[in-house]
Amino acid sequence: MTGRRIEARDGQVVERGQPIKFRFDGRTYEGYSGDTVASALTAAGVSILSRSFKYHRPRGLLCGAGHCPNCLVQIGDEPSVRSCKRVIEEGMDVRPQNAWPSLDNDVMALTESISRFLPVGFYYKIFHRPRTLWPAFEHILRNAAGLGVIDQNTPEGDYDKQYLHADVVVVGGGPAGLSAAVSAAEAGARVLLIDENPQLGGHLRFARPDSRLSEKVADCRQRLEQAGAQVLTNTAVVGWYQDHWLSAVCEQRLFKIRAGAVVVATGAFESPPVFAGNDRPRVLLGTAVQRLLHMYGVTPGERGVVVTANDAGWAVAADLIAAGVEIAALVDEREAPMINADAHAVQAAGVNVLHGYTIGAARGKRGVEEVTLVPTDGSAPQHVVRCDFVSLSTTWVPSTELATMAGARSRYDDTLAEMQLEDLPDGLYLAGRVTGPCTAEQEWTQGAAAGAAAASGDRSPSTDQARTDLAPNTLATTDLRRSSPLVSAPVVGSDKRIVCFCEDVTDTDIETAISEGFDRIELLKRYSTVGMGPCQGRMCGLNSIRLCARATGHSVQETGRTTGRPPVTPISLGALAGQKMDPVQLSAVHQWHVDAGARLMVAGPWMRPEHYGDPAEEVRAVREAVGLIDVSPLGKLKLTGPGVATMLERLYVNQWQDLGRGRVRYGIMCNDEGVILDDGVCARLSDQEWYVSTTSTGASGALEWMEWWRQSGWGEGVHITDLTETHAAFNLTGPLARRVLQPITSRDLSHRKFPYMRARRTQVAGVECLLLRIGFTGELGYEIHCPAGYGRYLWETLVEAGAAHNLRPFGVEAQRILRLEKAHFIVGQDTDALTDPLSADAPWAVRLDKEEDFLGRRALSRISAEGPKQRLVGFRTGRRADRLIEGLQIVQQNDREAPEIIGWISSCRFSPTLQETLGLCWLPAELAAQAGATFQIHVEGGLEEATVHHGPFYDPEGERLRG
Amino acid sequence: MLRLECPNCGVRNAAEFRYGSEYTPRPSPSTDASDVEWTRFLYLRHNSMGVQTEWWYHRSGCGLWFLVERDRRTNAIARTWRWQPLDQPEIDAP
Repeated sequence: MTGRRIEARDGQVVERGQPIKFRFDGRTYEGYSGDTVASALTAAGVSILSRSFKYHRPRGLLCGAGHCPNCLVQIGDEPSVRSCKRVIEEGMDVRPQNAWPSLDNDVMALTESISRFLPVGFYYKIFHRPRTLWPAFEHILRNAAGLGVIDQNTPEGDYDKQYLHADVVVVGGGPAGLSAAVSAAEAGARVLLIDENPQLGGHLRFARPDSRLSEKVADCRQRLEQAGAQVLTNTAVVGWYQDHWLSAVCEQRLFKIRAGAVVVATGAFESPPVFAGNDRPRVLLGTAVQRLLHMYGVTPGERGVVVTANDAGWAVAADLIAAGVEIAALVDEREAPMINADAHAVQAAGVNVLHGYTIGAARGKRGVEEVTLVPTDGSAPQHVVRCDFVSLSTTWVPSTELATMAGARSRYDDTLAEMQLEDLPDGLYLAGRVTGPCTAEQEWTQGAAAGAAAASGDRSPSTDQARTDLAPNTLATTDLRRSSPLVSAPVVGSDKRIVCFCEDVTDTDIETAISEGFDRIELLKRYSTVGMGPCQGRMCGLNSIRLCARATGHSVQETGRTTGRPPVTPISLGALAGQKMDPVQLSAVHQWHVDAGARLMVAGPWMRPEHYGDPAEEVRAVREAVGLIDVSPLGKLKLTGPGVATMLERLYVNQWQDLGRGRVRYGIMCNDEGVILDDGVCARLSDQEWYVSTTSTGASGALEWMEWWRQSGWGEGVHITDLTETHAAFNLTGPLARRVLQPITSRDLSHRKFPYMRARRTQVAGVECLLLRIGFTGELGYEIHCPAGYGRYLWETLVEAGAAHNLRPFGVEAQRILRLEKAHFIVGQDTDALTDPLSADAPWAVRLDKEEDFLGRRALSRISAEGPKQRLVGFRTGRRADRLIEGLQIVQQNDREAPEIIGWISSCRFSPTLQETLGLCWLPAELAAQAGATFQIHVEGGLEEATVHHGPFYDPEGERLRG
Repeated sequence: MLRLECPNCGVRNAAEFRYGSEYTPRPSPSTDASDVEWTRFLYLRHNSMGVQTEWWYHRSGCGLWFLVERDRRTNAIARTWRWQPLDQPEIDAP
């Protein structure tokens, strides 16, 4: 095939002295250091780089700018790599995607021969009946669809995130962006310049080398450095969010950038015209040709046809001629003859020039072999010209994605045949080609003005005014890089005219979809999938809008455009996920637990011991001797002030005013729907000092809830101090708890001096502690709260003191069993977002008779009057029933009908103490009311029976608590 | 990312805050409210396309609950302020 190297020149990025070998589709190729996969393959004469998504048509390099899907390849375990951007490395293993057994002979290319049976939206139309066959179809379709292969054994990458701040962020390092960055930085602003390419310069990198311009780029770099501006290359800005918050990606790092102002100098990109065979390999955009020539020193072929509608195509032709490439023909849609240096060069080379012509068809099996040139109005005469590549310079699309995300509106300009931005939000400035066709000189000027305005924080009086000041672009200024008004070329032959290269959508498909009623651009996109592939509409956006407008008879402006959303360019999910970081809170005793061989579990934000080997033994120790559990994750709040009792009355359903000093009461907090939010014990330490505990997992939520009411009118004379993280807490519990604790405290722990549900401040082993005598486990117990700094010391002292009494540390699992034997519920485990305390079997806590208004009063009054419909109640089985687990449904078998679900199990464990499986469940109130009534639980493959139980299963009279 | 001005701490990223809810003052005492008023307070939200008064909490900061006037179409923040006993803006019924 064709394609070769030309001599080395300034501006080229390849190092000819450093050859690099790599593999592609099973063969070894050689390129130079700095080559991309695509440039090296083009130089080696390879034309087919991939197969298309639906019809498996052969595809080759098209845009050369990392936009289109044509050059996507798999490199090692990385799928869908843009080979026109990825630089080759020694030994790189590049494989084609979506082709089997090889790129040249792809079995699935047969799809195209049946393409008339696969119209637009075919998957919505067929395969639906008979329904039973859909899984089989789906299997085939899923295998046929998709591009690369994900290697599930790929090790995790090292991704991270970085936060950046700047007064002015300039997006795009072309002439406009460079001069904006320089002027902003020299005006004293903190500037961050970001460009997605490895080198700054934008189109100057690949347009004709011009020593004056490259000097200017070098000068800018130096001035930026002197002014302290930060420059990020190889970094793509992928999203704009509220208040100029930008996301950008550089390889495996995601940047989150807060900008004071943003200068969008993103330029424009080329998109191909619609004609038959416009996707044949070696049909390239003019900028791709220029990139090959000037950056990599590679020609796309030996004999080309140049298609254009502006001055840019002539420049490409002149560049090709200078590189020794033959131009078989140049067609310009415009009638007027060209007069400039490029035109002179083209004429001097004796090129056949056709004005008022465009390309109608490109034909060839593996590449282009011949083209048909037609007058733009479809008339005669047509010319067939033999060539081995086609260069297209007809349509330019401004990169408006970021600006429209920021809220700018786009308006289609019929004269310029492109979208123009208006209504720019505050702090957003435009410069360069993104504003419309302009010369490089104009880009420099605009950039400087935009940079200065952004640095000074000038809120442009109006965006229209800004536009006049900053974008003096008119057709009169230049015809360079402007767009063709031609919607599609006259129809020649029967080959497909591709609109969307990613999804293989043709102009006929679009017309069919519209005739089927999908005549709005957003509907058309969803139905035909035009613009939904990897290029996100870059190649097809303008074409599909214009085709839709033509088919519906609307103007392009009326047709509108689809909403652009981040990311602007594809990014890896790893970059979004970032580093794997799961912060957990650790108690002061954590290391002791680890050393003791505890099995740890995550509970809310905390890491806690689930057990130390045998939860059943831990339960037995608490029931028969003494156990110690670390309950530091409990929410611990100190409330002080004269208003505390009143506020607690309002926040909790219980009564508090009557709670005496040194007493403890269990409290339930509800919202105004009567739903239980949290529970815990509150101790009144003195008249104006209270100690409130909340659930471990709900600690932050409970605090926020209390603060909300405190700060919005109910907090007069109340101060809340959160002690959750500053204090450790342990529960020493079991019949021998007193014997362990008494020797290390001076406080008399006798039942008479320190009864059940009392709080005492005292020293334990020399540490100031608060002791709460409470009984979640159902045994004599002391909850010991102390400053976290003494936590480990106190824990170890207690363990030591308990050694003679067979003290055992126990974990969350044993605690769950212990409380279940007492039928205590756990908020969030046994209750949900609909549970009220009356239904949850805690009506004794609800004081509807108290004077103070409280959260939940109205709802609970109503539920109290009507009676709960479902109730939380205990159940027992009288046996070991290991098939019973939490979450199972309780069913009732009515005659004839299918079983009806009447409840569910919220907690269930085998009780080592009572030697049977028991738990808590939700049942209809009338069934729940009948102690001893039986019901059925649905388990996999059958039913299990259980009976309703009222009250605690263990020590129903609570004698052990008061021991 | 949206930025909010905490009345205590100044302008911060929204990630430091937690959204509370639309500002819906609780009828007090609850027992005096009619069923209609109570239902409106408990369940009905304006969900307006425009300026809304809402609660925010400076979770990763000073712990202040404060009020924000935010345009829900543009996210433009008109003002933020501490709750005051008498400062209860009139809100139209939904």
